[in-house]
Amino acid sequence: MTTPAASVELTRSPKRVVATPHLMRRLLSRPDGLIGLAIMVVFAILAILPDVLVGPLQTAVTATGPRLAAPSAAFPLGTDELGRSILNLTVHASRISMVIGLMATVITIAIGAALGIIAGYLGGWVDTIAMRIADFFLVIPTFVLAIILTSLIRDAIGSGTKEMFGIRFGLIAIVVVIGITSWSSTARIIRSQTMSLKERAFVDRARVIGAGGGHIMARHILPNVVNLIVANAVLTFAGAVLTETTLSFVGLGDPFQPSWGQLLDAAREVGAASLGAWWYLLPPGVCIVLVVFAFTLVGNALDALLNPKLQGRR
Amino acid sequence: MGGGYLARRLGQAAITIALIVLVNFLLFRAMPGSPERILLGRIPNITPEVLEAVRVRWGLDKPVFPDQFIAYIAATAQGDLGFSFLARGQTVVEVIGQRLWPTVLLFGIGELIAIVIGLALGAYSGWRRGGLVDYVGNGVALVLYSAPYFLIGMLLLLVFASGLGWFPTFGMVTRGQTGGTLDYLIDVGRHFVLPVTAVSIGLIGQYAILMRSSLLETLSEDYIATARAKGLSGGRILRNHALPNALLPTVTLVAINLGYVVAGAITVEVVFNWPGLGTLTVEALTARDYPVLQGVFLLLSVAVVLANLAADLVYGLLDPRVRT
Repeated sequence: MTTPAASVELTRSPKRVVATPHLMRRLLSRPDGLIGLAIMVVFAILAILPDVLVGPLQTAVTATGPRLAAPSAAFPLGTDELGRSILNLTVHASRISMVIGLMATVITIAIGAALGIIAGYLGGWVDTIAMRIADFFLVIPTFVLAIILTSLIRDAIGSGTKEMFGIRFGLIAIVVVIGITSWSSTARIIRSQTMSLKERAFVDRARVIGAGGGHIMARHILPNVVNLIVANAVLTFAGAVLTETTLSFVGLGDPFQPSWGQLLDAAREVGAASLGAWWYLLPPGVCIVLVVFAFTLVGNALDALLNPKLQGRR
Repeated sequence: MGGGYLARRLGQAAITIALIVLVNFLLFRAMPGSPERILLGRIPNITPEVLEAVRVRWGLDKPVFPDQFIAYIAATAQGDLGFSFLARGQTVVEVIGQRLWPTVLLFGIGELIAIVIGLALGAYSGWRRGGLVDYVGNGVALVLYSAPYFLIGMLLLLVFASGLGWFPTFGMVTRGQTGGTLDYLIDVGRHFVLPVTAVSIGLIGQYAILMRSSLLETLSEDYIATARAKGLSGGRILRNHALPNALLPTVTLVAINLGYVVAGAITVEVVFNWPGLGTLTVEALTARDYPVLQGVFLLLSVAVVLANLAADLVYGLLDPRVRT
């Protein structure tokens, strides 16, 4: 009777409440999910194929247009102060902005999910300390801390031309800093879910047959919070893009790898708003708003689908 | 209010402030170059004797822990945050003091406008859920929430200052402005309109979203059903039963969000050259003026923690359920 297979069967986690393909279908059946996903697909294409769409990134040397010229047939979105095409810059910036956002999201979610699961499962003083630190980052103006940390890291590692995933090290500093400063809301959400999961019978059964804490957290808790992690990651991405934009805008961007925020910083420096150069402000600005809007829509939609309590309220 | 609730909130705030001071101390240690060079600023050709004198003067010859740590805490407690690199000879406290009031004015009034309009919009769209205002308002709120504050500022500048020419493009007063107090105030007012509009537009979206979901949450409570069953009019249910209860959690959320929005809102100052803490932060960042950056961080963090504490205490006064 009690073959090993049977005991494995007893301790297997229950079927996930929402399987992923199913979730995608339900997401697509909502107007907000559909609109959000459509915008995401467009920007994913821009970020993956900038060279194919608009040619290589223009520099001060390869710029061909007149300075700060309004849109024309040759330059559909006008030019910047160096004569570069704004269309070219904006499309290339989508890769920089979105890759930085993606990497920052991965770090944020990794820290947040790990701390959330560990704090929620172990409880006690580990939980108390982790949550006090989370509260600290939740309350303080992390943006000012991020400014200080980014410039400290920059000064420490120097300004080399080394790259990681096509992103120069100076910008990697931004990625790390966003990760360090924005994990706390993820940790709180995952922690409370973990606390309710660990009271469930399948976790008890696993414990009874002698599974260790690490095994239970990795094999039983983690798979059951994956959906929550995905929904949270989508919202985290929106926040990371906004933070990167703002950090670049105050001068922490890299002119050789312009993101949308870096473009807006350059536009401010030449006084584009006062000069009425709307074509310099609108393309990067609209891209930021669209991307953050799309990820917020999809994140909220996922939240609503995964959290039955909210259903019918939004 | 129960003593336990008060004590616990005060204790949490104290721990957070202690953590802020600790982080600030660690950042000071992590600064590039040795701390004595930081204290001296960028003076070339310093003799070893001078360096040694500075080390003794600032206690850097003593171990980092506990001597230096205790000295740092003592200095911070007395409001001694060191000297600015950029403004030579001025203390960090003096530098920040000169830039504090423009930010308090801009952010305070912007926040007030946003709370009034945002909460009203959120309450209305929540009450008329599914209506036209709700549908459009929700979309607009989400778009505003997605836009960085400085972008809103730049677009306002583009349209109303350079396009229509209604307002000046930068600063807080016109240079060389002569005339009476009234002229001065009108001049500041004209400079004030666009930045404060940018700050409030940036905040309205978030507050409307918060208020709307809080009101929807409240409307699903049993006591609202009871009120309806009693035959009360819709307006009375909203005013006397739903709104007061929906406002409560919003107060806390607004306070928790402060740290997030303060930081975003200071970028508006950069767009308009508003002479506040935001432009100071960016100037200090460009010059790597770390003492000033840390001073701004300390000031804003402590201010936000105290605002949160105040919100918690007000909440405790208004809602007996949390006083346990």
